[in-house]
Amino acid sequence: MMRTVSAAETAPTTHPWVVHTEGLRVRAGRHLAVDGLDLALGIGVHGLLGPNGAGKTTLMRALATVVKPAGGRLTLLGEQVDGRSDLRRVRRALGYLPQQFGFYPRFTVREFVEYMAWLKEMPKTAVPGAVQRAIDRVGLTAKANARMKTLSGGMLRRAGIAQAIVNDPEVLLLDEPTVGLDPEQRLDFREMLRDLSVDSCVLVSTHLVEDVVAACTDVVMINEGRLVYQGTPNDLTAQGGQGDAGDSPAERGYSALLRRHRAGAGR
Amino acid sequence: MRWLTLYLRSRRVPIALAAAAGCTAAMWSLWSVSSNAREVGVPMVILTVLLLVASVTATLAGPDEALDRTAALPWPPLRAAHLLAALAVVVVLLLATLITGARFGPAWLVIRDAVGLLGLTALGAVTIGASRSWFLPLGWTLASVVFTLSGTTTSAIITWQVQDPGNKPAAVTAALLGVGGLIAYAAAGPARRAPAEAAL
Amino acid sequence: MSRILRIELRRSAAIGAVLILVLAGAVLLYAAPKRWAPGWMSLAMIQREYLVLLWPLALAAGAWQARREHRSNVAELFASTARPRAQRMVPALGAMGVAAACAYLAVAAVAAPWIIDTARYLPATAFVVVAVGALAMVAAAWLGLAVGRLLPSLITAPALAVAGIGLLMVIPAATRSREWLALVFSPMYGMGQYTDYQTVYGRVSAAQAVWLVALAAAAAVLLASGDWRTRVAALLPAVLGAGLAIMIIPRNDEFVSNPVDPVAQEQVCADGSPRVCVSRVHSGLLPEAAPLARQALEMLAKLPNPPTTVHEDTTTFYPDTSPPRQADVVLMSISVDKDGHLARKAEILPRMLFNAGADMSGCDDSWNLAVSRAAGYWLMGREPGPDYFQASPEENAEAAKLWQGLRSLPEQEAAARVGAVRRAALACEKLDGLLTASAR
Repeated sequence: MMRTVSAAETAPTTHPWVVHTEGLRVRAGRHLAVDGLDLALGIGVHGLLGPNGAGKTTLMRALATVVKPAGGRLTLLGEQVDGRSDLRRVRRALGYLPQQFGFYPRFTVREFVEYMAWLKEMPKTAVPGAVQRAIDRVGLTAKANARMKTLSGGMLRRAGIAQAIVNDPEVLLLDEPTVGLDPEQRLDFREMLRDLSVDSCVLVSTHLVEDVVAACTDVVMINEGRLVYQGTPNDLTAQGGQGDAGDSPAERGYSALLRRHRAGAGR
Repeated sequence: MRWLTLYLRSRRVPIALAAAAGCTAAMWSLWSVSSNAREVGVPMVILTVLLLVASVTATLAGPDEALDRTAALPWPPLRAAHLLAALAVVVVLLLATLITGARFGPAWLVIRDAVGLLGLTALGAVTIGASRSWFLPLGWTLASVVFTLSGTTTSAIITWQVQDPGNKPAAVTAALLGVGGLIAYAAAGPARRAPAEAAL
Repeated sequence: MSRILRIELRRSAAIGAVLILVLAGAVLLYAAPKRWAPGWMSLAMIQREYLVLLWPLALAAGAWQARREHRSNVAELFASTARPRAQRMVPALGAMGVAAACAYLAVAAVAAPWIIDTARYLPATAFVVVAVGALAMVAAAWLGLAVGRLLPSLITAPALAVAGIGLLMVIPAATRSREWLALVFSPMYGMGQYTDYQTVYGRVSAAQAVWLVALAAAAAVLLASGDWRTRVAALLPAVLGAGLAIMIIPRNDEFVSNPVDPVAQEQVCADGSPRVCVSRVHSGLLPEAAPLARQALEMLAKLPNPPTTVHEDTTTFYPDTSPPRQADVVLMSISVDKDGHLARKAEILPRMLFNAGADMSGCDDSWNLAVSRAAGYWLMGREPGPDYFQASPEENAEAAKLWQGLRSLPEQEAAARVGAVRRAALACEKLDGLLTASAR
């Protein structure tokens, strides 16, 4: 199903990068979780990898404009994000699935996605069609009128993805979107990511290296709040050798990079 | 001892105790400031008992009932002890004011109402969940405070919270509610409520 | 927005709140129907009195609904969306406001069938009184929402309800010297049913409405506020509204406590003759009252110069009003039973014929209980017995003696003596001995 495209969307963009950070610093509580991160993301699916506590979730929160950066520059869609700016225009083009997905249990899936569409200030006439499209894309059509508290873990996650994509966002931030999905649903999810990579900038934070290799056009690795590596999945795989830990080439490449970064930081 | 500390924290007891103490202090100050009489008016005493019972209501259920039930511990005696401890907290807080300038009494009224309201709350926790269990005690007590009936046995039972301390039907009603609530809560525990995010 | 409002109406606490409020209101009203059976104004005003329970419950409902965002952990997700917080709160405000107002109106609708066949007088003021009550409920729900969002703990709702009922019960006592102040701030005050003709002045309702609208606006601003500056600014509409309401309401000398509606007291007459009239508010009882009244007039027809009309006794004490005393009018006092029909029917005839139908309420010390009772019972053709006067056995014996005396006389002589009693009563002269002395 096609949707009408506004003139603003087909106009050429004036910003080189969709997401651009320079020396970004973000606090999580007292701890400086993101410490001097330089990142430039364009159209495509970017996988965000890193150990626990590396600052992935904090980075996602900062990009979703949920927390204010403590320092550095963050530019989303050409707009600078700091304490003073009006973020409504950016947020209308944003889709976010948090790691702890909170929802209203009594709402049905359709109602909740519709509510999120309203919160993202979608034009009223476009909402019903967009909601149906989003629900179909994640494969929840059969459960569209079921209350959210009756959904299992994987379906809940898919409902979360549905609300993130309902406004066809230009910047889509998914934090651990494949938790609870069975292998077949993960394959469908990868297909959906490939679809989205055509005209949005998608940042997927995940621990599953296989998903990153299969669906992402670009891999970003961060550790201790700093950028470790940015490149294609093939290049990531090439970084690893037989001696590194891991059950697959991609995992070996990941361990190799991490080891090198830790050794370099220890110097 | 360690286990007890963890258990109390899981049920958010410190906050509940602070809230109960705060409510008592607030009502005590309100009366001290606005009146010279030593004996606090009966409606205010009853409303204070209600508030204190409501403060301890939240402790009747933990954040994840399903997890608690998988424990090997025998829950019924523990739950009964919890409820009795809650009753003791409510009663002690109010009876402590008897030595101060604003006395929340008579003592028997406080005990009777605390037993009855806590029992009713426990029954509510078993049937509709701990977070909603204050609905019925609140509505019933507010109605009784405003429309005090007395005279016949039926009216004494319907508005048992506001009857004189010596009133027999009211005492029986409160005792039935208290004992019934204790048994039901100890045996069945709070109603199961799934945490907001289903198992991940 | 309307779709979202419909979703909120279905999925928020609105439906549960309506059910609980309607149940509470219906139980309260039907527990004592005698208080509001006299008519529509009585129902409207007594329902407003029961706001003492419904208003705190609405506060608790609002606070309960406000916990939803906190309970569901949606803060992070919603922080990334475009719609400003103020707009985001509108559906919740709408749903709870609609629920509170509809619950209040539904309680009135549940009570209405009880008196629908006997209550006739429906002034516009009744609708105004109900509307102000519904407005009070909306203000309570919004205030509950605002406070519940500030303090999303489980104890907020019960504590708010207790605080609400405490406030409502304290306002009349705190403003004892200035009753008009209590009228502004307490939606349940001033609704006492001392007579069946009570009303509420338009200016009073206007002042209350202004204050309630201001309170609701302050609550809405508080709910939508993000920082402490806006929260403090929420006080502004409340203060302005309070000031405006105080200016509107009749104060000090102009203030009338528990006013009476003269239109409700107007006499409305039944068809046919002799004429029987009752007050407009009781006009639904004419079919029941007229036969009794005509019976009384028949009995009084034996007297010389008998009265020809029966009017209802619309005397009130606060404020002091009484119907003009006319020589050929008999006053009938009407009260309404708990099912809306005429109360104490067995007493009506004795009361009307007491003193041979003459009203002595304005006279000071010409009373003679035995004479008056004997005269009345002679007209009825019954022996003096236990009745509403609850006379002591000695007084009853005295009346019985006089009655026996009248019975032993020929009809005309007895009628003449009773006629003399009536004449004396109308002129406020002493009644002693009129039944034993020979009439002239």
